[in-house]
Amino acid sequence: MIAAPLAGLVFFSLFAGQLPPMWMAAVCLLVVFLFLLGGSHRHDSMLTLDVYARRSQLCRENAAFKTVGSLCLLVMCVCSSSPIPPLCLFLFLSIVTVAAGGVKLREYFSLLGLPAMFLMLSGLTLLWDFYQKLPKEAVLFLPFFGGWLAVVPAAQALGMLVLSRALGAVSCLYFLSLSTPLSELLSVLRRAHVPDIVVELAVLIYRYIFILLATFRDMKHSAASRLGYQGLKRSLCTTGLIYGALLANSFRRAGACFDAMESRCYTGQIVFFTPKKQVTGKLICLLGFPLAGMLAGIWLFS
Amino acid sequence: MTTVEKKIMSFSIVAGLVFCVPQTALAMHIMEGYLPPAFCIGWGAICLPFLAAGVITIRQLVQQHRKSILLLAMAGAFVFVISSLKIPSVTGSCSHMTGTGLGAILFGVPATSVLGLIVLVFQALLLAHGGLTTLGANTFSMAIAGPLLTWGVYQAGKKLRLPKLFNVFLAAMLGDLLTYCVTSVQLALAYPSAEGGMWSSMMEFLAVFAPTQLPLAIIEGILTMLVMMGLETYAKSELHELCCAKGGLFK
Repeated sequence: MIAAPLAGLVFFSLFAGQLPPMWMAAVCLLVVFLFLLGGSHRHDSMLTLDVYARRSQLCRENAAFKTVGSLCLLVMCVCSSSPIPPLCLFLFLSIVTVAAGGVKLREYFSLLGLPAMFLMLSGLTLLWDFYQKLPKEAVLFLPFFGGWLAVVPAAQALGMLVLSRALGAVSCLYFLSLSTPLSELLSVLRRAHVPDIVVELAVLIYRYIFILLATFRDMKHSAASRLGYQGLKRSLCTTGLIYGALLANSFRRAGACFDAMESRCYTGQIVFFTPKKQVTGKLICLLGFPLAGMLAGIWLFS
Repeated sequence: MTTVEKKIMSFSIVAGLVFCVPQTALAMHIMEGYLPPAFCIGWGAICLPFLAAGVITIRQLVQQHRKSILLLAMAGAFVFVISSLKIPSVTGSCSHMTGTGLGAILFGVPATSVLGLIVLVFQALLLAHGGLTTLGANTFSMAIAGPLLTWGVYQAGKKLRLPKLFNVFLAAMLGDLLTYCVTSVQLALAYPSAEGGMWSSMMEFLAVFAPTQLPLAIIEGILTMLVMMGLETYAKSELHELCCAKGGLFK
Protein backbone atom coordinates (compact mmCIF):
# COMPACT_ATOMS: atom_id res chain seq x y z
CA MET A 1 0.00 0.00 0.00
CA ILE A 2 2.80 2.41 0.90
CA ALA A 3 4.66 1.43 -2.28
CA ALA A 4 2.05 3.13 -4.48
CA PRO A 5 2.36 6.72 -3.14
CA LEU A 6 6.13 6.19 -2.82
CA ALA A 7 6.34 5.14 -6.47
CA GLY A 8 4.30 8.22 -7.41
CA LEU A 9 6.78 10.41 -5.52
CA VAL A 10 9.81 8.74 -7.12
CA PHE A 11 8.43 9.13 -10.63
CA PHE A 12 7.46 12.73 -9.88
CA SER A 13 11.05 13.52 -8.82
CA LEU A 14 12.39 11.57 -11.78
CA PHE A 15 10.51 13.54 -14.44
CA ALA A 16 10.21 16.95 -12.72
CA GLY A 17 11.28 19.72 -15.09
CA GLN A 18 11.56 17.33 -18.05
CA LEU A 19 7.93 16.70 -18.97
CA PRO A 20 5.00 19.12 -19.19
CA PRO A 21 2.86 19.07 -16.00
CA MET A 22 -0.06 17.25 -17.63
CA TRP A 23 2.15 14.44 -18.89
CA MET A 24 3.87 14.17 -15.52
CA ALA A 25 0.58 13.90 -13.66
CA ALA A 26 -0.52 11.20 -16.11
CA VAL A 27 2.69 9.20 -15.66
CA CYS A 28 2.55 9.42 -11.84
CA LEU A 29 -1.12 8.42 -11.72
CA LEU A 30 -0.48 5.50 -14.07
CA VAL A 31 2.36 4.24 -11.88
CA VAL A 32 0.26 4.56 -8.70
CA PHE A 33 -2.61 2.73 -10.42
CA LEU A 34 -0.33 -0.10 -11.62
CA PHE A 35 1.02 -0.52 -8.09
CA LEU A 36 -2.44 -0.60 -6.56
CA LEU A 37 -3.49 -3.12 -9.21
CA GLY A 38 -0.75 -5.64 -8.80
CA GLY A 39 1.51 -4.82 -5.89
CA SER A 40 0.26 -7.23 -3.27
CA HIS A 41 2.67 -9.50 -1.43
CA ARG A 42 1.24 -12.92 -0.79
CA HIS A 43 2.15 -15.37 1.94
CA ASP A 44 0.67 -18.77 1.34
CA SER A 45 3.76 -20.74 2.45
CA MET A 46 4.09 -21.87 -1.14
CA LEU A 47 6.82 -21.27 -3.67
CA THR A 48 4.74 -19.47 -6.28
CA LEU A 49 7.60 -18.95 -8.72
CA ASP A 50 8.41 -22.66 -8.77
CA VAL A 51 4.78 -23.51 -9.54
CA TYR A 52 4.69 -20.98 -12.42
CA ALA A 53 7.98 -22.36 -13.77
CA ARG A 54 6.63 -25.90 -13.93
CA ARG A 55 3.41 -24.71 -15.58
CA SER A 56 5.21 -22.51 -18.12
CA GLN A 57 5.08 -23.27 -21.86
CA LEU A 58 8.83 -22.60 -22.03
CA CYS A 59 9.53 -25.31 -19.43
CA ARG A 60 10.02 -27.86 -22.24
CA GLU A 61 12.97 -25.94 -23.72
CA ASN A 62 16.65 -26.68 -23.08
CA ALA A 63 17.61 -25.41 -19.61
CA ALA A 64 21.32 -24.82 -20.25
CA PHE A 65 20.59 -22.64 -23.28
CA LYS A 66 18.02 -20.61 -21.35
CA THR A 67 20.42 -20.14 -18.43
CA VAL A 68 23.40 -19.04 -20.55
CA GLY A 69 21.21 -16.76 -22.66
CA SER A 70 19.59 -15.02 -19.70
CA LEU A 71 22.92 -14.61 -17.91
CA CYS A 72 24.43 -12.97 -21.02
CA LEU A 73 21.41 -10.66 -21.25
CA LEU A 74 21.74 -9.88 -17.54
CA VAL A 75 25.41 -8.89 -17.89
CA MET A 76 24.72 -6.74 -20.94
CA CYS A 77 21.82 -5.08 -19.17
CA VAL A 78 23.97 -4.14 -16.16
CA CYS A 79 26.80 -2.92 -18.42
CA SER A 80 24.57 -0.65 -20.50
CA SER A 81 25.38 3.05 -20.09
CA SER A 82 22.07 4.31 -21.48
CA PRO A 83 18.60 3.64 -20.03
CA ILE A 84 17.03 2.81 -23.42
CA PRO A 85 18.39 -0.74 -24.15
CA PRO A 86 17.46 -2.11 -20.67
CA LEU A 87 13.96 -0.62 -20.95
CA CYS A 88 13.47 -2.24 -24.38
CA LEU A 89 14.77 -5.52 -22.96
CA PHE A 90 12.33 -5.23 -20.06
CA LEU A 91 9.40 -4.77 -22.45
CA PHE A 92 10.50 -7.61 -24.75
CA LEU A 93 11.20 -10.17 -22.02
CA SER A 94 8.00 -9.28 -20.14
CA ILE A 95 6.01 -9.90 -23.31
CA VAL A 96 7.87 -13.19 -23.89
CA THR A 97 7.27 -14.35 -20.31
CA VAL A 98 3.59 -13.48 -20.44
CA ALA A 99 2.73 -14.40 -24.04
CA ALA A 100 5.09 -17.29 -24.82
CA GLY A 101 5.47 -18.56 -21.25
CA GLY A 102 1.81 -18.34 -20.31
CA VAL A 103 2.18 -16.46 -17.00
CA LYS A 104 -0.90 -14.34 -16.31
CA LEU A 105 -0.36 -10.59 -16.68
CA ARG A 106 -1.79 -9.84 -13.25
CA GLU A 107 0.48 -12.40 -11.62
CA TYR A 108 3.48 -10.97 -13.46
CA PHE A 109 2.62 -7.49 -12.15
CA SER A 110 2.28 -8.76 -8.62
CA LEU A 111 5.72 -10.42 -8.93
CA LEU A 112 7.19 -7.13 -10.19
CA GLY A 113 5.83 -5.51 -7.02
CA LEU A 114 8.12 -7.68 -4.86
CA PRO A 115 11.37 -5.77 -5.34
CA ALA A 116 9.52 -2.46 -5.79
CA MET A 117 9.80 -1.35 -2.16
CA PHE A 118 13.59 -1.57 -2.24
CA LEU A 119 13.74 0.13 -5.63
CA MET A 120 11.52 3.01 -4.54
CA LEU A 121 13.25 3.67 -1.20
CA SER A 122 16.74 3.57 -2.66
CA GLY A 123 15.59 5.50 -5.74
CA LEU A 124 14.45 8.26 -3.41
CA THR A 125 17.92 8.52 -1.83
CA LEU A 126 19.55 8.56 -5.27
CA LEU A 127 17.31 11.40 -6.45
CA TRP A 128 17.19 13.62 -3.37
CA ASP A 129 20.53 14.90 -2.07
CA PHE A 130 21.43 17.20 0.81
CA TYR A 131 23.11 20.48 -0.13
CA GLN A 132 24.42 23.32 2.10
CA LYS A 133 23.64 25.88 -0.62
CA LEU A 134 20.82 25.47 -3.07
CA PRO A 135 22.30 24.42 -6.46
CA LYS A 136 21.29 26.63 -9.38
CA GLU A 137 20.11 23.79 -11.58
CA ALA A 138 17.82 22.22 -8.92
CA VAL A 139 14.40 21.27 -10.30
CA LEU A 140 12.79 20.39 -6.95
CA PHE A 141 13.90 21.57 -3.51
CA LEU A 142 12.85 21.62 0.14
CA PRO A 143 14.44 23.47 3.08
CA PHE A 144 15.91 20.93 5.51
CA PHE A 145 17.75 21.62 8.82
CA GLY A 146 19.62 24.73 7.65
CA GLY A 147 20.38 23.29 4.19
CA TRP A 148 18.43 22.06 1.21
CA LEU A 149 17.16 18.74 -0.04
CA ALA A 150 17.17 19.01 -3.82
CA VAL A 151 16.84 17.06 -7.04
CA VAL A 152 19.31 18.05 -9.78
CA PRO A 153 19.21 16.88 -13.45
CA ALA A 154 22.41 14.79 -12.98
CA ALA A 155 20.72 12.83 -10.17
CA GLN A 156 17.63 12.39 -12.38
CA ALA A 157 19.78 10.92 -15.16
CA LEU A 158 21.50 8.54 -12.72
CA GLY A 159 18.15 7.56 -11.17
CA MET A 160 16.72 6.86 -14.63
CA LEU A 161 19.72 4.70 -15.56
CA VAL A 162 19.67 2.70 -12.31
CA LEU A 163 15.91 2.23 -12.46
CA SER A 164 15.97 1.01 -16.05
CA ARG A 165 18.93 -1.32 -15.45
CA ALA A 166 17.18 -2.80 -12.42
CA LEU A 167 13.93 -3.29 -14.37
CA GLY A 168 15.76 -4.93 -17.28
CA ALA A 169 17.73 -7.20 -14.97
CA VAL A 170 14.62 -8.22 -13.01
CA SER A 171 12.89 -9.14 -16.27
CA CYS A 172 15.90 -11.37 -17.19
CA LEU A 173 15.74 -13.02 -13.78
CA TYR A 174 11.99 -13.58 -14.10
CA PHE A 175 12.37 -14.93 -17.64
CA LEU A 176 14.77 -17.54 -16.27
CA SER A 177 13.03 -18.40 -13.03
CA LEU A 178 9.52 -18.39 -14.51
CA SER A 179 10.48 -20.80 -17.28
CA THR A 180 13.00 -23.16 -15.67
CA PRO A 181 12.34 -25.30 -12.58
CA LEU A 182 15.11 -25.08 -10.00
CA SER A 183 15.97 -28.78 -10.24
CA GLU A 184 16.94 -28.29 -13.92
CA LEU A 185 19.00 -25.21 -13.07
CA LEU A 186 20.91 -27.27 -10.49
CA SER A 187 21.75 -29.88 -13.12
CA VAL A 188 23.08 -27.04 -15.30
CA LEU A 189 25.27 -25.99 -12.37
CA ARG A 190 26.59 -29.53 -12.11
CA ARG A 191 27.52 -29.48 -15.79
CA ALA A 192 29.25 -26.11 -15.27
CA HIS A 193 31.65 -27.81 -12.82
CA VAL A 194 30.46 -26.12 -9.64
CA PRO A 195 31.96 -28.23 -6.78
CA ASP A 196 29.97 -31.45 -6.37
CA ILE A 197 29.45 -30.96 -2.67
CA VAL A 198 27.79 -27.56 -3.23
CA VAL A 199 25.45 -28.89 -5.94
CA GLU A 200 24.55 -31.91 -3.82
CA LEU A 201 23.85 -29.67 -0.86
CA ALA A 202 21.70 -27.44 -3.06
CA VAL A 203 19.72 -30.40 -4.45
CA LEU A 204 19.05 -31.70 -0.95
CA ILE A 205 18.12 -28.25 0.35
CA TYR A 206 15.65 -27.82 -2.53
CA ARG A 207 13.95 -31.13 -1.69
CA TYR A 208 13.87 -30.45 2.05
CA ILE A 209 12.31 -27.02 1.59
CA PHE A 210 9.02 -28.66 0.58
CA ILE A 211 9.07 -31.06 3.55
CA LEU A 212 9.75 -28.20 5.95
CA LEU A 213 7.09 -25.96 4.42
CA ALA A 214 4.49 -28.73 4.75
CA THR A 215 5.49 -29.42 8.37
CA PHE A 216 5.40 -25.71 9.12
CA ARG A 217 1.90 -25.41 7.65
CA ASP A 218 0.60 -28.18 9.90
CA MET A 219 2.28 -26.72 12.98
CA LYS A 220 0.95 -23.25 12.24
CA HIS A 221 -2.61 -24.47 11.78
CA SER A 222 -2.55 -26.46 15.00
CA ALA A 223 -1.07 -23.49 16.89
CA ALA A 224 -3.69 -21.16 15.42
CA SER A 225 -6.52 -23.54 16.38
CA ARG A 226 -5.23 -23.40 19.97
CA LEU A 227 -5.29 -19.55 19.93
CA GLY A 228 -1.51 -19.34 19.66
CA TYR A 229 -1.55 -16.09 17.71
CA GLN A 230 -3.60 -13.90 20.10
CA GLY A 231 -1.67 -10.70 20.71
CA LEU A 232 1.87 -9.79 19.80
CA LYS A 233 3.59 -11.36 22.81
CA ARG A 234 1.92 -14.73 22.43
CA SER A 235 2.36 -14.82 18.65
CA LEU A 236 6.10 -14.07 18.99
CA CYS A 237 6.34 -16.83 21.57
CA THR A 238 4.44 -19.29 19.34
CA THR A 239 6.58 -18.39 16.32
CA GLY A 240 9.77 -18.99 18.31
CA LEU A 241 8.50 -22.33 19.59
CA ILE A 242 7.37 -23.41 16.12
CA TYR A 243 10.74 -22.51 14.57
CA GLY A 244 12.54 -24.43 17.32
CA ALA A 245 10.27 -27.45 16.87
CA LEU A 246 10.70 -27.20 13.10
CA LEU A 247 14.48 -27.31 13.44
CA ALA A 248 14.38 -30.27 15.84
CA ASN A 249 11.89 -32.04 13.60
CA SER A 250 14.03 -31.40 10.53
CA PHE A 251 17.04 -32.99 12.23
CA ARG A 252 15.01 -36.05 13.13
CA ARG A 253 13.88 -36.25 9.50
CA ALA A 254 17.48 -35.90 8.32
CA GLY A 255 18.41 -38.84 10.55
CA ALA A 256 15.61 -41.01 9.14
CA CYS A 257 16.53 -39.96 5.62
CA PHE A 258 20.15 -40.93 6.18
CA ASP A 259 19.15 -44.39 7.43
CA ALA A 260 16.98 -44.86 4.34
CA MET A 261 19.82 -43.81 2.04
CA GLU A 262 22.38 -46.01 3.82
CA SER A 263 20.11 -49.02 3.39
CA ARG A 264 19.93 -48.24 -0.36
CA CYS A 265 23.73 -48.32 -0.79
CA TYR A 266 24.48 -44.59 -0.49
CA THR A 267 28.21 -44.07 -1.03
CA GLY A 268 28.43 -40.29 -0.78
CA GLN A 269 27.09 -39.38 -4.22
CA ILE A 270 23.55 -38.63 -5.23
CA VAL A 271 22.73 -38.83 -8.95
CA PHE A 272 19.38 -37.77 -10.34
CA PHE A 273 17.93 -38.49 -13.75
CA THR A 274 17.51 -35.41 -15.92
CA PRO A 275 15.66 -35.83 -19.23
CA LYS A 276 17.45 -34.41 -22.28
CA LYS A 277 15.82 -31.46 -24.00
CA GLN A 278 16.74 -30.27 -27.48
CA VAL A 279 17.50 -26.64 -28.35
CA THR A 280 14.59 -25.59 -30.56
CA GLY A 281 14.41 -22.88 -33.21
CA LYS A 282 11.76 -21.06 -31.17
CA LEU A 283 14.12 -20.67 -28.22
CA ILE A 284 16.99 -19.55 -30.46
CA CYS A 285 14.72 -16.83 -31.86
CA LEU A 286 13.39 -15.82 -28.44
CA LEU A 287 16.87 -15.38 -26.99
CA GLY A 288 18.88 -14.54 -30.12
CA PHE A 289 16.73 -11.53 -30.98
CA PRO A 290 17.19 -9.69 -27.62
CA LEU A 291 20.89 -10.65 -27.51
CA ALA A 292 21.48 -9.08 -30.93
CA GLY A 293 19.29 -6.12 -29.99
CA MET A 294 21.17 -5.49 -26.74
CA LEU A 295 24.56 -5.70 -28.48
CA ALA A 296 23.41 -3.22 -31.10
CA GLY A 297 21.83 -0.98 -28.45
CA ILE A 298 24.94 -0.87 -26.26
CA TRP A 299 27.13 -0.13 -29.29
CA LEU A 300 24.74 2.54 -30.57
CA PHE A 301 24.32 4.39 -27.26
CA SER A 302 27.91 4.11 -25.94
CA MET B 1 -11.46 21.67 19.58
CA THR B 2 -14.71 21.28 17.69
CA THR B 3 -15.96 17.88 16.58
CA VAL B 4 -14.89 18.47 13.00
CA GLU B 5 -11.42 19.50 14.15
CA LYS B 6 -11.18 16.41 16.33
CA LYS B 7 -12.23 14.24 13.41
CA ILE B 8 -9.65 15.85 11.13
CA MET B 9 -7.00 15.47 13.83
CA SER B 10 -7.69 11.79 14.42
CA PHE B 11 -7.91 11.10 10.68
CA SER B 12 -4.55 12.78 10.12
CA ILE B 13 -2.95 10.75 12.92
CA VAL B 14 -4.30 7.50 11.48
CA ALA B 15 -3.26 8.47 7.95
CA GLY B 16 0.19 9.45 9.22
CA LEU B 17 0.61 6.11 10.97
CA VAL B 18 -0.60 4.16 7.96
CA PHE B 19 1.78 5.92 5.59
CA CYS B 20 4.81 6.24 7.84
CA VAL B 21 4.96 2.69 9.08
CA PRO B 22 6.37 0.51 6.35
CA GLN B 23 4.16 -2.35 5.22
CA THR B 24 6.83 -4.67 3.92
CA ALA B 25 10.11 -5.13 5.72
CA LEU B 26 12.15 -7.63 3.84
CA ALA B 27 15.60 -8.46 5.01
CA MET B 28 17.74 -6.03 3.11
CA HIS B 29 18.60 -7.72 -0.17
CA ILE B 30 20.06 -5.47 -2.86
CA MET B 31 17.84 -6.08 -5.86
CA GLU B 32 18.84 -7.54 -9.22
CA GLY B 33 20.66 -5.15 -11.54
CA TYR B 34 21.04 -2.39 -8.96
CA LEU B 35 24.84 -2.36 -8.65
CA PRO B 36 27.27 -1.31 -11.44
CA PRO B 37 29.33 -4.20 -12.94
CA ALA B 38 32.60 -3.32 -11.16
CA PHE B 39 30.93 -3.60 -7.76
CA CYS B 40 29.22 -6.89 -8.61
CA ILE B 41 32.60 -8.42 -9.48
CA GLY B 42 34.44 -6.76 -6.56
CA TRP B 43 32.07 -7.97 -3.84
CA GLY B 44 32.01 -11.42 -5.38
CA ALA B 45 35.80 -11.54 -5.27
CA ILE B 46 35.83 -10.52 -1.59
CA CYS B 47 33.48 -13.42 -0.80
CA LEU B 48 35.60 -16.04 -2.58
CA PRO B 49 38.13 -16.83 0.19
CA PHE B 50 35.34 -17.28 2.76
CA LEU B 51 33.38 -19.52 0.43
CA ALA B 52 36.45 -21.59 -0.45
CA ALA B 53 37.16 -22.07 3.26
CA GLY B 54 33.53 -23.05 3.77
CA VAL B 55 33.53 -25.59 0.92
CA ILE B 56 36.80 -27.14 2.16
CA THR B 57 35.57 -27.48 5.75
CA ILE B 58 32.23 -28.92 4.62
CA ARG B 59 33.98 -31.42 2.34
CA GLN B 60 36.25 -32.56 5.18
CA LEU B 61 33.30 -32.82 7.53
CA VAL B 62 31.29 -34.90 5.05
CA GLN B 63 34.23 -37.24 4.50
CA GLN B 64 34.43 -37.83 8.25
CA HIS B 65 30.69 -38.09 8.98
CA ARG B 66 28.63 -38.84 5.92
CA LYS B 67 25.44 -38.00 7.77
CA SER B 68 26.47 -34.40 8.26
CA ILE B 69 25.62 -33.47 4.66
CA LEU B 70 21.99 -34.23 5.47
CA LEU B 71 22.15 -32.20 8.68
CA LEU B 72 23.68 -29.29 6.75
CA ALA B 73 21.07 -29.59 4.00
CA MET B 74 18.27 -29.54 6.57
CA ALA B 75 19.92 -26.52 8.18
CA GLY B 76 20.05 -24.75 4.82
CA ALA B 77 16.42 -25.59 4.11
CA PHE B 78 15.52 -24.32 7.59
CA VAL B 79 17.32 -21.00 7.01
CA PHE B 80 15.51 -20.64 3.65
CA VAL B 81 12.12 -21.48 5.12
CA ILE B 82 12.34 -19.08 8.05
CA SER B 83 13.59 -16.32 5.78
CA SER B 84 10.59 -16.79 3.51
CA LEU B 85 7.95 -16.86 6.26
CA LYS B 86 6.12 -13.90 7.66
CA ILE B 87 6.87 -13.13 11.32
CA PRO B 88 4.55 -11.27 13.68
CA SER B 89 5.43 -7.62 14.11
CA VAL B 90 4.11 -4.57 15.86
CA THR B 91 2.32 -2.91 12.97
CA GLY B 92 0.84 -5.81 11.07
CA SER B 93 3.34 -5.29 8.27
CA CYS B 94 5.12 -8.31 6.80
CA SER B 95 8.66 -8.83 7.97
CA HIS B 96 11.05 -11.72 7.42
CA MET B 97 14.00 -12.98 9.45
CA THR B 98 17.43 -13.41 7.87
CA GLY B 99 18.08 -16.56 9.89
CA THR B 100 21.81 -16.41 9.26
CA GLY B 101 22.48 -15.27 12.86
CA LEU B 102 20.87 -18.44 14.15
CA GLY B 103 22.89 -20.39 11.57
CA ALA B 104 26.15 -18.83 12.75
CA ILE B 105 25.43 -19.66 16.41
CA LEU B 106 24.40 -23.25 15.60
CA PHE B 107 26.70 -24.25 12.73
CA GLY B 108 29.64 -21.80 12.80
CA VAL B 109 30.69 -19.22 10.22
CA PRO B 110 32.28 -21.30 7.39
CA ALA B 111 29.26 -23.58 7.00
CA THR B 112 26.85 -20.64 7.29
CA SER B 113 28.63 -18.76 4.49
CA VAL B 114 28.17 -21.64 2.02
CA LEU B 115 24.61 -22.33 3.19
CA GLY B 116 23.93 -18.59 2.98
CA LEU B 117 25.14 -18.47 -0.63
CA ILE B 118 22.89 -21.38 -1.66
CA VAL B 119 19.95 -19.87 0.21
CA LEU B 120 20.51 -16.49 -1.50
CA VAL B 121 20.50 -18.14 -4.95
CA PHE B 122 17.25 -19.91 -4.01
CA GLN B 123 15.76 -16.68 -2.71
CA ALA B 124 16.61 -14.93 -5.97
CA LEU B 125 15.13 -17.69 -8.12
CA LEU B 126 12.19 -18.85 -6.00
CA LEU B 127 11.15 -15.73 -4.10
CA ALA B 128 12.55 -12.90 -6.27
CA HIS B 129 14.40 -11.42 -3.28
CA GLY B 130 17.89 -10.25 -4.22
CA GLY B 131 19.42 -11.24 -7.53
CA LEU B 132 22.13 -13.01 -9.46
CA THR B 133 24.30 -9.99 -10.33
CA THR B 134 24.11 -8.70 -6.76
CA LEU B 135 24.78 -12.15 -5.32
CA GLY B 136 28.35 -11.25 -4.27
CA ALA B 137 27.31 -8.12 -2.38
CA ASN B 138 24.36 -9.85 -0.72
CA THR B 139 26.48 -12.87 0.23
CA PHE B 140 29.04 -10.59 1.84
CA SER B 141 26.52 -8.65 3.93
CA MET B 142 24.19 -11.52 4.89
CA ALA B 143 26.23 -14.69 4.84
CA ILE B 144 29.67 -13.40 5.88
CA ALA B 145 29.71 -10.06 7.73
CA GLY B 146 26.54 -10.61 9.78
CA PRO B 147 27.33 -14.22 10.84
CA LEU B 148 30.96 -13.27 11.65
CA LEU B 149 29.82 -10.57 14.06
CA THR B 150 27.10 -12.79 15.53
CA TRP B 151 29.58 -15.58 16.13
CA GLY B 152 32.16 -13.16 17.59
CA VAL B 153 29.68 -11.51 19.95
CA TYR B 154 28.32 -14.91 21.00
CA GLN B 155 31.79 -16.24 21.82
CA ALA B 156 32.76 -13.02 23.64
CA GLY B 157 29.53 -13.13 25.63
CA LYS B 158 30.26 -16.72 26.59
CA LYS B 159 33.71 -15.69 27.86
CA LEU B 160 32.19 -12.78 29.80
CA ARG B 161 29.59 -15.18 31.24
CA LEU B 162 26.59 -13.19 30.08
CA PRO B 163 23.26 -14.96 30.67
CA LYS B 164 22.96 -17.39 27.75
CA LEU B 165 19.65 -16.25 26.33
CA PHE B 166 20.56 -12.57 26.57
CA ASN B 167 23.80 -13.41 24.81
CA VAL B 168 21.93 -15.11 21.95
CA PHE B 169 19.56 -12.13 21.65
CA LEU B 170 22.43 -9.63 21.60
CA ALA B 171 24.48 -11.60 19.07
CA ALA B 172 21.58 -12.13 16.64
CA MET B 173 20.42 -8.53 16.91
CA LEU B 174 23.88 -7.03 16.37
CA GLY B 175 24.50 -9.39 13.44
CA ASP B 176 21.28 -8.23 11.82
CA LEU B 177 22.15 -4.56 12.41
CA LEU B 178 25.59 -5.10 10.88
CA THR B 179 23.99 -6.67 7.80
CA TYR B 180 21.88 -3.54 7.39
CA CYS B 181 24.88 -1.21 7.90
CA VAL B 182 27.06 -3.18 5.46
CA THR B 183 24.31 -3.06 2.83
CA SER B 184 24.06 0.70 3.26
CA VAL B 185 27.84 1.02 2.86
CA GLN B 186 27.70 -1.13 -0.29
CA LEU B 187 24.97 1.06 -1.77
CA ALA B 188 26.79 4.26 -0.80
CA LEU B 189 30.08 3.05 -2.31
CA ALA B 190 28.29 2.31 -5.57
CA TYR B 191 26.33 5.56 -5.64
CA PRO B 192 28.11 8.32 -3.64
CA SER B 193 26.20 11.61 -3.51
CA ALA B 194 27.34 14.56 -5.61
CA GLU B 195 28.24 16.92 -2.79
CA GLY B 196 28.92 15.02 0.43
CA GLY B 197 30.50 11.96 -1.21
CA MET B 198 30.19 8.49 0.22
CA TRP B 199 29.54 9.50 3.84
CA SER B 200 26.53 11.65 3.14
CA SER B 201 25.11 9.02 0.79
CA MET B 202 25.63 6.35 3.46
CA MET B 203 23.80 8.43 6.05
CA GLU B 204 20.92 8.82 3.60
CA PHE B 205 20.67 5.09 2.94
CA LEU B 206 20.91 4.32 6.67
CA ALA B 207 18.16 6.83 7.43
CA VAL B 208 15.80 5.65 4.69
CA PHE B 209 16.02 1.97 5.65
CA ALA B 210 16.13 2.51 9.45
CA PRO B 211 12.33 2.43 10.07
CA THR B 212 12.11 -1.04 8.51
CA GLN B 213 15.39 -2.52 9.70
CA LEU B 214 15.67 -1.43 13.37
CA PRO B 215 12.46 -3.13 14.62
CA LEU B 216 13.31 -6.13 12.43
CA ALA B 217 16.71 -6.54 14.15
CA ILE B 218 15.08 -6.53 17.60
CA ILE B 219 12.42 -9.05 16.51
CA GLU B 220 15.09 -11.23 14.93
CA GLY B 221 17.00 -11.18 18.26
CA ILE B 222 13.89 -12.13 20.25
CA LEU B 223 12.95 -14.94 17.85
CA THR B 224 16.47 -16.38 17.76
CA MET B 225 16.41 -16.39 21.55
CA LEU B 226 13.02 -18.17 21.60
CA VAL B 227 14.19 -20.76 19.06
CA MET B 228 17.24 -21.54 21.18
CA MET B 229 15.00 -21.78 24.24
CA GLY B 230 12.68 -24.20 22.44
CA LEU B 231 15.59 -26.27 21.17
CA GLU B 232 17.09 -26.60 24.64
CA THR B 233 13.78 -27.66 26.13
CA TYR B 234 12.53 -30.06 23.49
CA ALA B 235 15.51 -31.16 21.40
CA LYS B 236 18.50 -31.56 23.67
CA SER B 237 19.74 -34.71 21.90
CA GLU B 238 19.62 -33.11 18.43
CA LEU B 239 21.41 -30.05 19.77
CA HIS B 240 24.09 -32.31 21.17
CA GLU B 241 24.45 -34.10 17.84
CA LEU B 242 24.78 -30.73 16.15
CA CYS B 243 27.50 -29.64 18.56
CA CYS B 244 29.44 -32.82 17.69
CA ALA B 245 29.08 -32.02 13.99
CA LYS B 246 30.11 -28.44 14.62
CA GLY B 247 33.18 -29.62 16.53
CA GLY B 248 34.17 -31.26 13.27
CA LEU B 249 33.79 -27.96 11.43
CA PHE B 250 36.36 -26.20 13.55
CA LYS B 251 39.01 -28.90 13.69
